[in-house]
Amino acid sequence: MQRIPIKYAVPGMKLEKEAVTPEGQVLCGPDSELTAELIERLKKQGVTVLTVQGRPVVLPGDKSLGTRLKELEHRFSKVNNDPVLKAIKKLIAEFWIVQERGPEAVASAKRTGGQN
Amino acid sequence: MTREELISRLDNVQSLPTIPPIVSRLNEMVQDEDTTAARLGKVIEKDQVLTAKLLKMVNSSFYGFPQRISTINNALVLLGFNVIKTLIVTSSIFEVMQASDIRLFEHSLGCATAAGIIARRRGIKNPEEVSTAGLIHDLGKIVLRAELPKEYDRILANSRERELPVRDVELEIVGMTHSEIGGILATQWNLPDSLVIPVKYHHRPAKCKDHQEITAIIHFSDILIRAVGFGSGGDPWVPPLDHKAWDIIKFGKSDAREILEELDEKLAELANFTGEIDQEQ
Repeated sequence: MQRIPIKYAVPGMKLEKEAVTPEGQVLCGPDSELTAELIERLKKQGVTVLTVQGRPVVLPGDKSLGTRLKELEHRFSKVNNDPVLKAIKKLIAEFWIVQERGPEAVASAKRTGGQN
Repeated sequence: MTREELISRLDNVQSLPTIPPIVSRLNEMVQDEDTTAARLGKVIEKDQVLTAKLLKMVNSSFYGFPQRISTINNALVLLGFNVIKTLIVTSSIFEVMQASDIRLFEHSLGCATAAGIIARRRGIKNPEEVSTAGLIHDLGKIVLRAELPKEYDRILANSRERELPVRDVELEIVGMTHSEIGGILATQWNLPDSLVIPVKYHHRPAKCKDHQEITAIIHFSDILIRAVGFGSGGDPWVPPLDHKAWDIIKFGKSDAREILEELDEKLAELANFTGEIDQEQ
């Protein structure tokens, strides 16, 4: 799953979540396949962001999951003795892993005792 | 530089754009009980540039209104005078921030977004005011950068080289932290206490006596937005959590997951918003 600004949308991509106007109106549902006409129509209706299946776009400033997890560790390096913050760090890491690889990735890491 | 020297310098800040004269006019109008949102709106709408800026801010995703706000009158009714006034007072400062430090601008927008999400979940009466407090929480950093650029560069260089949080180095080099500086200016500008106090105490929330819930939310939102790595507050580290503040707002794992999900969604929209700003420049 990836959230992308609509200018990165291209025909063939599939929606993970519904496309919604700024007014909250749902224009098309999950699993809809984008076409050039549909993208134009969504833009005209004021849609700015789409949630698409997979991770089809490398956005400017995008980093790999490994890099992001390493940076997350570094950011928490001065507060690692705080149990609440430690829990929050773990939840963020899990959230990113699920986003990138699906819910099964976190579950299987837990089964094998992985450090996720 | 001593504390006293810095305080007298703050009394006479030269480097930032001045507060628009419209603010004092609006303040006078608000004292009058007969003043309506429609009348205030008319005064603001005479300034078309300001109106456009305000509408852009109130429609950005961190306030999270489902419907587009198209008039100042609507914005006043939905967000309240305190928010609109704060946006008018700080609009020129945010222009300086966008031009000089886009990553700090992103950090501020991100903090506002997180604060709004938490405030709304807690059922706070005016969540937009909490978002606005998040937006301006690092005001002191902009002032430092604009007013004392050499010292500010030294602060950042020291923080990097010695791996110390910016606020510790601020205390060493200028005798005051950005939160105190921000608090002094927000007071000078007559912003309401509900905004001054979170700015002043966002790193020491246990010290404040009023507006503790809002201050706790801003304290935690600053931590959360640094934790996810959106924008930059000057150094990379997540600041320590004040557990008295956490006790006021604490939530469990499933709430935390929902907050992260909502934050991620809103930050994606925000990236679009700051992207638009980049293109405009």
